[in-house]
Amino acid sequence: MESVGKECTQLKHQYEECFNKWYTEKFLKGDHSPDCQDLFNKYRSCVFKTLKERNMLDTIDGARKEIGSGFKPQSE
Amino acid sequence: MVKFYQQTHDYEHPWSRVTVAFWLRYPNPFAAHVLSTDVIDRHVDPNGVLHTTRLILKRGNVPRWARSFMKHNEAFILEQSHIDPATRTMVSVSKNISHKRAMVIEETQTYTVAPTDPNHRTRVKYEVRFLSNLGWGLTSKIESFSQKRFADSSSKSRLGMAYILEKLQEKSKLPGYLFKPPQAA
Repeated sequence: MESVGKECTQLKHQYEECFNKWYTEKFLKGDHSPDCQDLFNKYRSCVFKTLKERNMLDTIDGARKEIGSGFKPQSE
Repeated sequence: MVKFYQQTHDYEHPWSRVTVAFWLRYPNPFAAHVLSTDVIDRHVDPNGVLHTTRLILKRGNVPRWARSFMKHNEAFILEQSHIDPATRTMVSVSKNISHKRAMVIEETQTYTVAPTDPNHRTRVKYEVRFLSNLGWGLTSKIESFSQKRFADSSSKSRLGMAYILEKLQEKSKLPGYLFKPPQAA
């Protein structure tokens, strides 16, 4: 599945491959220590760049407050 | 006005596999309207619960009467989920963040082990709330739209999950099985 930013899709796939492995082999087996953080940060920065260009950050921020959890936009 | 619908379904798969399928469910042949998905936030809290926020872009299926309110035929959906392996509970809440003035559609899916066979069967409770401020004589149109939309999205969501679950089950039987996401047809 594509990312919202075409240039982020490859980063997304790299991160997801790492996450899926972590999720099945560690998280579901009770090991909660985080993994894939570098890949996630790279991928997320790319997505936030796209969202900023589309003027989406405020909309997302507002929606997250309604649903409930805290949200810290990262736009670097 | 508010409309509320609810449905329960059992998957003949263990809870852990259903949660894996939840992450892999796009793309699937029953979700051609899903254009992109992105994880925008994810963390494990001190209680060992995984929290994730995803942004999903869908191609809209805007009814003719609503086109003047919804100019773009695409909608962003925010999906927030938490997964607690200790209690074997997964809850996902999603809401459109585009076109909110016309209508807000909030879907909640709760996945727990089925009491009848907790290790092999998973129960999902699917709830949808439609909130609209459009009055002006559109009530019956909104109502029939909501009803149709609920039937359509609940069956597509079920078929999509079932498709991915089957792929996962096939893979798990292979010798030397190592987790790999299934390929959509």
